[in-house]
Amino acid sequence: MFVKPFRYERAEDLAHACEILRSHGDGAKAIAGGQSLMPMLNTGLLDCEVLVDISHIDLEDVGVRDGYLELGGLVRHARLASDSRVANSQPLIATAARHVGNARVRNRGTLGGSLAHADPSAELPLVMTAIGAKVLASNGSEVREIAAEELATSFLSTQLAEDELVVAVRVPVLGEGWGWSFNEITRRLGDFAVAAVAVLLRTAEGKVLEARVAAGAVGKTPIRLGGVEAALSGASRDELAERAQRLDEVDPPSDSNASAAYRKKVLGVLVRRSLLEAFDRAGVGESGAGGADAAESGAGESGSGESTDGSGRGEGQ
Amino acid sequence: MTSGGALAGPFENEVTLSFEVNGRRVTRRGPGHLSLLRWLRDLVGVTDPKYGCGEGVCGSCAVQVDGQVVSSCIVLAAQVDGAKIETASGMCGDDGSLSGLQQAFHEHHAAQCGFCTPGMLMAAASLLEDGRHRSRDEIREALHGNLCRCTGYGPILDAIEAAQAGREATGPRAGSETKLVAG
Repeated sequence: MFVKPFRYERAEDLAHACEILRSHGDGAKAIAGGQSLMPMLNTGLLDCEVLVDISHIDLEDVGVRDGYLELGGLVRHARLASDSRVANSQPLIATAARHVGNARVRNRGTLGGSLAHADPSAELPLVMTAIGAKVLASNGSEVREIAAEELATSFLSTQLAEDELVVAVRVPVLGEGWGWSFNEITRRLGDFAVAAVAVLLRTAEGKVLEARVAAGAVGKTPIRLGGVEAALSGASRDELAERAQRLDEVDPPSDSNASAAYRKKVLGVLVRRSLLEAFDRAGVGESGAGGADAAESGAGESGSGESTDGSGRGEGQ
Repeated sequence: MTSGGALAGPFENEVTLSFEVNGRRVTRRGPGHLSLLRWLRDLVGVTDPKYGCGEGVCGSCAVQVDGQVVSSCIVLAAQVDGAKIETASGMCGDDGSLSGLQQAFHEHHAAQCGFCTPGMLMAAASLLEDGRHRSRDEIREALHGNLCRCTGYGPILDAIEAAQAGREATGPRAGSETKLVAG
């Protein structure tokens, strides 16, 4: 652990953080929970002149407003996994957060940090892509909105400018008739995924009406499985297994975790399982899992979101 | 690899940090790029958290920061300035007596080389904190982030189950990991 020395600077607020980042350009890195950055510093994969501590900025709000769940950039994984508003509004996020690393990682790691780090096998960028989340990025004076699936541009790369930070993520509350599923395969519990799949699916009268299907760890960024999504419209439960195999556009990498061929094979299995699970959840009209047991799908207990079920939940949202 | 010798300063990037480590207030001046693990081991002299992987994977450096278990090797010390830190040695009573959990590890031979043991104790203490009964499988799953290369895990699971049973029978004992629980 021979870390190349850097200077530590604690940002007092957002504007301060962005200002320090701007003034140092490439030489500065922002640290939130540090659960990816610190391992990279420890192993010498990365060095910097200045480390800007953004973890004391007030960006930890969780709220449900107008049919949207809004999550501050510094909300930690453990909170995503345990907060009932998250579980009730978007159970996919709560479930995915429980799969992140181990308990120690979840106690420190943050949502914004995970998105900005942009590891293609990470859980949260994947579910945000599946859900169609909007990522709010700020340079201290202006906030811009970035579609989650466009945030990452390649392996560990995003379109965030040097002085931009993820300040919040906004996702539509899961509406009536929607089911969800998250599945991943790891070599050992807590490892990086060999393949991961997140599904949101709306059914009526035993047929799929709409589906959003995304996969992680099978490309340079999380990807939407367009072939599967297109094939799902109007599908009955019995047809899901076959439609799950429309993976022609997927070209996974080979690495020390798995070969490309194995990744593609298990991806098909995960998509099939996830579609079936999401379909069954949609049919039952339940949106809770893992003890969340939301009686009614959709809006959480706080705010005025209850009446807006479904309205904010559509293509591209 | 990490623990050898005191750090010779002065450094250009020095910071002054103050922690409450196992109930003792310690203020030190040192380089701002140190992990909490190095700060504890090299500046404070608390050496029960161990440097294993340096990536937050093996769990041998686990400590509690303000009541939450973390990998101290991937927490930057300066980020948690002022925090209350509990390590495995802090579970002992003031007279050095073992906590219920430590005693169970001892009785069930849950340590061989002992390198993972402080982290295992921290993980187990954090798991049992809320008082909810955990099945053996739940304990196994909760410990997935802690690696042991000696025991094969069986004795560790035995010890944690025994400690849990002991608590359920008598309640957590004074001078034990209740200090962690209270944190």
